[in-house]
Amino acid sequence: MSVIEINHLTKDYGEGRGIFDINLSIEKGEVFGYVGTNGSGKTTTIRHIMGFLQAQQGSATVMGFDAWKDSVEVKKFVSYIPGEIAFPDLRTGTEFLKAQAELLGLKNMDYANYLCDKLQLDTSANLKRMSKGMKQKTAIVAALMANKDILILDEPTTGLDPLMRETFLDIILEEKEKGKTIFMSSHMFDELEDTCDRVAMIQNGHIIDCVSMNDITNTPTKTYKIEFTNREDFVAFKHTRFKIIREQPQYNQVTITIKNEDIAKLMKSLTKYKLKFVAEIEYTLENHFKDVLKKIKEKESKNV
Amino acid sequence: MFSKALFKQSMKAHWVKWVFVTVPTCVMLAIVIIVLGNLGINDIRDSLKEIFVQADQESTLKEEAVDGYELYTTTTDFYGVLSPNASLIGMLNSMLYQPAINEANPTTDEERNAVRQSVAEQALGFITGGTLPGFSIPEGLDEDYLKQFFVYLFAAYDTMTSNGADTSNVDNDQLLINAYTNLVADMAYSQSIAEEGATEDYAQTRADGAREIANAAITEYKGQQTAGTLEDADFESLANEYINNYIYQETYDLIYQQNIDSGMSASDAETSASEYAVMTKVIANTAITTYQFWINERVNEATDAGTDYDLAAIKTEARTNACQSISDQMPEAVAEALSELGNMDIYGLIIGSIFYRIAGLLLPMVFVIMTANSLLAGQVDSGSMAYVLSTPTKRRTVTITQMVYLIVALLAMYILLTVTSVISVFIVGGNNFAINYAEILLFNAGAFLTMFAIAGFCFMCSSLFNRAKYSLGVGGGLTIFSLVCTILGLFGSSVVPSAMRISAMNVFNYFSMITLFDTVSIMSGTLDYLWKFAILLGIGIVTFIIGVFRFEKKDLPL
Repeated sequence: MSVIEINHLTKDYGEGRGIFDINLSIEKGEVFGYVGTNGSGKTTTIRHIMGFLQAQQGSATVMGFDAWKDSVEVKKFVSYIPGEIAFPDLRTGTEFLKAQAELLGLKNMDYANYLCDKLQLDTSANLKRMSKGMKQKTAIVAALMANKDILILDEPTTGLDPLMRETFLDIILEEKEKGKTIFMSSHMFDELEDTCDRVAMIQNGHIIDCVSMNDITNTPTKTYKIEFTNREDFVAFKHTRFKIIREQPQYNQVTITIKNEDIAKLMKSLTKYKLKFVAEIEYTLENHFKDVLKKIKEKESKNV
Repeated sequence: MFSKALFKQSMKAHWVKWVFVTVPTCVMLAIVIIVLGNLGINDIRDSLKEIFVQADQESTLKEEAVDGYELYTTTTDFYGVLSPNASLIGMLNSMLYQPAINEANPTTDEERNAVRQSVAEQALGFITGGTLPGFSIPEGLDEDYLKQFFVYLFAAYDTMTSNGADTSNVDNDQLLINAYTNLVADMAYSQSIAEEGATEDYAQTRADGAREIANAAITEYKGQQTAGTLEDADFESLANEYINNYIYQETYDLIYQQNIDSGMSASDAETSASEYAVMTKVIANTAITTYQFWINERVNEATDAGTDYDLAAIKTEARTNACQSISDQMPEAVAEALSELGNMDIYGLIIGSIFYRIAGLLLPMVFVIMTANSLLAGQVDSGSMAYVLSTPTKRRTVTITQMVYLIVALLAMYILLTVTSVISVFIVGGNNFAINYAEILLFNAGAFLTMFAIAGFCFMCSSLFNRAKYSLGVGGGLTIFSLVCTILGLFGSSVVPSAMRISAMNVFNYFSMITLFDTVSIMSGTLDYLWKFAILLGIGIVTFIIGVFRFEKKDLPL
C-alpha cells in the first residue's frame, strides 16, 4: 500500500490557476521530489495532503486516511515544514520549540537538540529578529524533532546558505536511511537529484512527468564531449561509426552518444588520436525536464 | 476539545496587551469613583433641588401670611359691624334660642345642634326680612357665614350659661367674641384637614393660630375704639404689621427650638433663628403687599370702568399671584429644565453611561479586536497556524481553545474591574454613595456581557476571514462604529438633561450593540436591563458558535 496516494486531485481557482487531476502514489521509504516553477501548484498539492484545503474532486490519502476528513489521524504520521515561515507570537526559538513539543506530546528533546547542533542553530535567539535562514532552520527542527514516519517539506532549503543546504540534505539522507517517507517540493533540481528516488514535475497545475532518479543516473547511453588537438584527427574521427550528435569544428570538438556496452570500444579507438580532453556530459534531471518541456512545446505547436 | 499547550501559547502571546489594557482601565475606574465620591458633584444637584423645596416652603409661607392677613382684616370688618349691635345680637339668645330650647328640650348634642341650626335660620330670616331694626348684613358678608356664626353664637351662649350663670347678666360683647373666634378656629381646622390633608396636630396648630389672630384683631379694634381713633385706623396696615410679626415670632420659636434640640448654644440658636425669622418676615411682607396691591388694582380698574366686580374672585386671584414661589414665576420651560437638572443623576451618568458604556469599554475593545483577530485570522494570514495544525490538533480544538482563552481573558479583566469598583465604592462610603454595590455589580456584569457579545462578533469575523485585514476591518470596524454611535447617541439619550439633549441624535443608539447595556434601567431600578442582558449573552453565544463551526469547514492557505 502506498503511504501517500493522490487520486484525480483537482482544485480549480479559476483563470487557469489551481491543480488539475493530480495522480501520485508514494511508497514507504521513498523520497519523492516535487518540482515546478513558482505558482505551478506545488504548495496547493501539499496543502491538500495536510488537510488544509478541501479537494473539489478526487482525494488525497495518507496511510489510508483521507487527508481532509481524517486530518487529525494523518497528522499522527506526518511532519510538515510550511513554505512560508511565520512563527506564532512567542519570544524565542526555544519557547517555540517547547510549545510545539507540547502540542506534539513530545517529551524527549534529544533529537531536537541533535538537529540544532547539526544545523548550528542557536534557539535562544528572538524569533522576530531571526534571519531567514535561522527561521528556516528552526522550522526544520520543529518539523523533524517529532521523528514521524512521513515528512512533508515545502521548499525546505529556501534561505539556507549552500553549506547549510548540504547539511540539510545530509539530514534528509539520514532520515531516508531510517526508512522514512519524504515528500519534498523544490524548484531546484540539483538538491532533488541528490536525495530523491523519484521526481514529479508540475507545470500550470498539471503533472507533466514523473521519473525515477535511477532512470536518469543509469541511462543506457552516455554522452561524451571530445576535443582533438588537430584538425586531421578531428576529421578522421568523424569518419568512424560513432554517433555524433553535435560537432564544433572551430574548436575541433565533437559530442557523441554511445551505448554503455560500447564505451570500451570508444576508449580503445580514442587511443589513436591526440586528444585535448574527453568529458562525460551527465544527463541531469534538469536536462530531462527541459527535454520533456521541449517535447510538450513541439506537440503543442504541431497541434496549432 | 481543549489544548492546554495552545492555551498557554495564547496567554504568552497576549498577556502584555492584557495587562496594558486592564491596569489602566482599573485605574481609570478607581479614579472616576473616588474623585467623584470626594468632590460631591451632587452638591450642585442638591442645591438646585433645595431651591425647589424652598420654593415650595416659600409658597406655603406666603399663603399663611396672606390667609392671616385676610383673617385679620375680615375680623376687624366683622367685629366693626357686629359689636355696635352686640346687645341686639345678644337678644337673639334670650328671645329666640332660649325659648326654642325650652320647647324642644333636647337631650343629646345632635338634637341641641339641630335646634341651633333652625333658630339660626330663623334669625337670618329676621335680619334679611328687616324684622330686626338697625341691623343689616354688612357688605361682603356671606349669609351662610352669618348663619354659621349664629350657630356658634348659640353654642357660646350655652357654654357661658352652662355653669348655672345668670342668663340675664351675660356679657354680649364677650359672647360675640367667643362665638366668632370659635368659628374662625373651627373653620381653619376643617380647612386645613380638607384642603391640605394635614395631620390633626397641624390642623390644631392652624386653628390656634387663627384664634390668636382673630383675638388680636379684635383687641386692636377695641384699642382703637377706646383711644377714639377708630375713624382714622388703617386696619390693612395694622394687619400687615401684625402678621409680619406673627410670622417672625412663629418662625423664630420653631427654629430656635430646632437649634437647641440639635445641640446649639443658646446665643447661636438665637442668632440663627432671628436671621431666618427676619427672612420669613420679609417674604410675608412681600406676599401681603402684593396681595393688597393686586386687589386695589383690580378694584380700581373695575370702579374706573364702572363695571361690577366679584371681590371674592379678585381675592382668590390675588392670593394665587401673591403666593407664587420663584419656580412659579419662571417660564415653564426654564422651570422644567432646572427641575430636571435638579433631579438628574450625575453619578449614574458619569459612571454608568460614560465610564462603563464608553470610556471603560474602549481599551477592552481594543484588546478584544486585536486578540480575536490574532487568535485565528492573524495566524492563518501569517501562516503560523500551520505549526499548530500540523500537529494532531483538531481545528475544533484550536477554535474552542482560542475562544476559551478570549472569554477567560475578558472575564479575568472584568473580575479585576469589579474588585476595583467595589473597593472604590467602599472607600467613598459604600451604600451611602450615589451608586450602591448592587448597581456597581450590575454595571460590571453589563459591561462584561457587552464585551462578550463584541468578542463573539470579532471572533466570528476572525474565523470567517483568512486575511487579517478583512477580519480587523469588519470585526474591529463595526465594533468601533458601535462605540462611536454610542458616544453620538449619548447626546440624544435620556440621561442628558433636556436643555442639552438633541433628540434626533438618539437614532445613533439604534445602530449600536452597546445600547443593549441599559445603564439607565439599572440606575432607575427597572428590570428592562435583564432581557437586554439576555440578548447580549445570546449574541455572544451565537457568534462564538458560528466562529467555531465555520473554521472547521473552510480552506486554509497554510
